[in-house]
Amino acid sequence: MKLPLPPWVRPRALIALLATCAALALGPLLHSDVYIHNLLTLTFIGIAAALAWNWLGGYLGQVSFGHAAMFGLGGFVAAKAEISMGMPMVFAWCFGGVIAGLYALVWGHPTLRLRGPYFSIATIGVGEATRLVGTYWDWLTGGSSGTSLPMHPNLKFTLYWYALALAAVAMAASYALRRSSLGLALLAIKSDVDAASDVGVSSTRLQDLVLFLSGAMIGVCGASYGSYFSYIEPGDMFGFDRSISWVLMGVIGGIGTIAGPALGAIIFVLLRQYLIASYPQLYLGLYGILLVLVILFEPLGLTGLSLRVLRRARPDLIVSGSET
Amino acid sequence: MSAVLRADGLSKRFGGLKAVDNVSLTLDEGRILGLIGPNGAGKSTCFSMLAGSTSPTAGRVFLGDREITGLPAFRAARGGVVRTHQIVRPFANLTIFENAVVAAVQCSGLDHAGARALARETLEFAGLAARRNEYPAGLTLAGRKRLEMARALACAPKVLLLDEVIAGVNPAEAQEMVTLILRIRDERKVSIIMTEHVMAAVMRLCERVVVLDAGKLIAAGEPKEIVQNPEVIAAYLGKKHA
Repeated sequence: MKLPLPPWVRPRALIALLATCAALALGPLLHSDVYIHNLLTLTFIGIAAALAWNWLGGYLGQVSFGHAAMFGLGGFVAAKAEISMGMPMVFAWCFGGVIAGLYALVWGHPTLRLRGPYFSIATIGVGEATRLVGTYWDWLTGGSSGTSLPMHPNLKFTLYWYALALAAVAMAASYALRRSSLGLALLAIKSDVDAASDVGVSSTRLQDLVLFLSGAMIGVCGASYGSYFSYIEPGDMFGFDRSISWVLMGVIGGIGTIAGPALGAIIFVLLRQYLIASYPQLYLGLYGILLVLVILFEPLGLTGLSLRVLRRARPDLIVSGSET
Repeated sequence: MSAVLRADGLSKRFGGLKAVDNVSLTLDEGRILGLIGPNGAGKSTCFSMLAGSTSPTAGRVFLGDREITGLPAFRAARGGVVRTHQIVRPFANLTIFENAVVAAVQCSGLDHAGARALARETLEFAGLAARRNEYPAGLTLAGRKRLEMARALACAPKVLLLDEVIAGVNPAEAQEMVTLILRIRDERKVSIIMTEHVMAAVMRLCERVVVLDAGKLIAAGEPKEIVQNPEVIAAYLGKKHA
């Protein structure tokens, strides 16, 4: 049987993604551990967010320290849409995501002219300003006392599958963005914007597109996070440490790689869960050490590490290029 | 003989400085036009305006009958005017093959497979096929200049603007580069404007040469006449030698 796939899709990657999702989808039917169930749900949301952050930070090399702005906006807009307008949950998520994506364009279209550290500094400003406005605008966010979302029996349990689907979509989008011919154009922009324009890459439009997708996906993550906890509060949703966490996930897993940030998100969420319970004062310090180690020894993070191991074990498997 | 690229009265001011002042030039189809002049004469600024990376303060640029003045660089490139850079700018994070694929995909309007075939064929043409899966950092300067040209060629241009592709390479490599440029004109049917300091190459390659000095066009004609022109000699060597 021949599937009508675009030529850049490796069937093996598609099968791996589908198989992983199927196994994870069946998981809750086989065990009844609520703690693991919840931890996995949070991990899925983390994976989707880290991958979305990587589209901008990794593929385009525009490292954002302000993505919590879209996470929070998506969360509160979806909550408002669900409560005041009675929108069904998934529609409200998408609505929140679109608004968050548009918001990203509003500040990002002018800001993306800056590159590297200058862009990063601008995003810190955007993130903090959004947090303050969010706290002040209590008609949207409920101010410092936050917003409560409708609770349904069993919702938390079923959200597992929604979160899994979200992570799967983010994974597929990461793959498509990087492997299709768009991905090469993004890497070209990352390497040299002007030279990319000189060979026909419309840098401004592509950067805007990626920014929108990244912001929208992060917004949907914020919305699902809100539904999951059924209570959200601006200080937490727009928090700076939330933005930092995606940078960390990306760096730990391998910035700019397709699946690295997902790996980073898994490590990050699990590690944090363990550390917060056991050494609440230490955990940020340990992340700091981990970050320094990764940057010093393996800039491509865990992905780089596993490639290195694989290359040593089976040198015949990996060639330097990727012409297939 | 029809003009493929024409510039009318191009000027560019940077504040009080006139980098290019009222320069007109015409490139005929299938020809190589030399653009020479001492350092700072405005050659690269001229190139930037022709390729769209800088918009002119005054003047117009035509590609065939179509006006392309002030189009953004990516539109000019898709339209058929592609430049290379004096200081090479390969995409270091892409393989040599992928460098060519980006250009082919964005400019040629071909699908995935077609663009890859064009990129592969272009690398073969430029003598880089054997190293296509390596990264540009592994190439010598001459190799990277070749890549710069191959990447521009993968755009399937009508007009190629070569900014000092020969300067800085050793004599044997320079010879190969001259051959490559001639093959681009003859086999690829691409018209070329080139800036160059290596006069021997200019004499061999260009049918016509225009000379810039301090932003102004001071002479135009066959290379043999140009090197005898007192104004040109004065521009390079000072009035005493003219």
